[in-house]
Amino acid sequence: MSTTTAPAAPAAPERPMPVPTRESKPYWDGLREGRFMLQHCAACGKVRHYPRPVCPHCFSMASSFKEAPRGGTVHTWTVCHHPFNFFFKPQAPYIVALVDMDAGVRVNAQLHGVAEKDLKIGQRVKLAFEPITAEITLPFFTPS
Amino acid sequence: MAHALRDTAAISGIGETAYTRGTAKSGLALQLEASLAAIADAGLGPRDIDGIIPYFPGGGIAEDFVANLGLPDLALSAFIPMGGATCVAALQTAAMAVATGVCKNVLISVGRTGYSGARVSTRLQQFPQFALAAEFEAPIGMFAPAQLYAQGARRHMQLYGTTPRHFAEVAVTTRNHAILNGNVVMNKPLTVEDHHASRMISDPFRLFDCSLESDGGAAVIVSASDRAKSLNKPLVTIMGVAEGHPESPASIAQRPDLLEFGLVKAARRGYEMAGVAPKDMDVAEIYDCFTFTVIRQLEILGFCKTGEGGPFVMDGRIGLGGELPINTHGGLLSQGHVVGLNHVIELTRQLRGEAGKAQVKDAEMGLVTGYGDMGDGSLAILRRAA
Repeated sequence: MSTTTAPAAPAAPERPMPVPTRESKPYWDGLREGRFMLQHCAACGKVRHYPRPVCPHCFSMASSFKEAPRGGTVHTWTVCHHPFNFFFKPQAPYIVALVDMDAGVRVNAQLHGVAEKDLKIGQRVKLAFEPITAEITLPFFTPS
Repeated sequence: MAHALRDTAAISGIGETAYTRGTAKSGLALQLEASLAAIADAGLGPRDIDGIIPYFPGGGIAEDFVANLGLPDLALSAFIPMGGATCVAALQTAAMAVATGVCKNVLISVGRTGYSGARVSTRLQQFPQFALAAEFEAPIGMFAPAQLYAQGARRHMQLYGTTPRHFAEVAVTTRNHAILNGNVVMNKPLTVEDHHASRMISDPFRLFDCSLESDGGAAVIVSASDRAKSLNKPLVTIMGVAEGHPESPASIAQRPDLLEFGLVKAARRGYEMAGVAPKDMDVAEIYDCFTFTVIRQLEILGFCKTGEGGPFVMDGRIGLGGELPINTHGGLLSQGHVVGLNHVIELTRQLRGEAGKAQVKDAEMGLVTGYGDMGDGSLAILRRAA
């Protein structure tokens, strides 16, 4: 049987970037301004994330974004060793923590300043902001 | 009263290509090769196919089958967009189509160049279901299934004490089964030590916790049970089948319980349709994109309680000769990755008594699961007709 080799890794990897949608733009605008903004239903008041057009609790399509507290507790994590996107190769291994925000939603982001052996469920962390471009700021966590 | 769909449809034909790493063939060619094998296995001709459910994206679409097989009157062309849960969920759609008379013979098929063609990062970007992961998680360095599913595995370990030793048992048992099969990518013995020494991919998943990227094709034909009786092979009927979609289906991060896969819902309905229980299973083919995924599905399927999946897989219980032999063909971990259609094929072989060295003695009933697309699930319970 003839064989072909697998394609080589891309030479000049680019960071994957979010492309804000009509629904999510206020969230990304908030991060750029150093504010953690979450979508709330204008009818029943419940928070929802990720942003979407309809409230799954009361089906209202009216919503507004409000600034939310930045504290939370670690729900779980992974430590990424293999860079599936080669942009991240210099950062590996890096910790991605899934955090139960005090605001009632979860955020997945890199956790800086904590050693892997010290990670535990329930640990308190705080969301911080890392500007990437003029438009896009990404969240990350630090110990609180 | 029995469910209207119970036992009304049968797996009438199965076909596979060689599973390899490296091929000069296209995904479509692999898919058609497997499809022709399945059609021959059923004792049918290509023009008997009147329903097509191809795995998508990747491989061919219904138009390709009409063009290549000269299908005279295609009555159904459908996609089931559920990632790794697609193939087993497709059995439900196919069963509905043949039970109602919309179709006579539905072809479910996969053709994939997962090694020599587009690999994981490229492939996922074709899924609209991954749009949220692309927007909110890829930018922070989290996109591949090995990363997204690792967080659930880590939580299970922290809550219940599941360990890498448990993961290794799944990998080693699956490899032992693969070696008996012959048509596999990984045919060398694997030890627990090999597993523990393999490189970390995304903690807690090491290399040997991850399924293969391989090339190959697989196909299954579903026909009405009363028609399939007159075909070539022992009759294997679909006793129960269901698909299930979890809460927050496109974002694991926002799912209230990361470990509540869509299989929770599919299992409830699938067992109910079949009217049977976990203890009735002679063999189980469990979707094994990762070792941990097998452990958690065994819990969801009711073979043990939540949190007990790790200890359950130990002591030979899931190996041939054990209480519940699983993945008797080598699965996605060691045979090849055709999105689990190889699991459906293996269960059919077991129930026909055609599983060779891996044959479970007197296997009469078994189940097969699908898992994928951020946690969608599917279950089919098959049995050999009396």
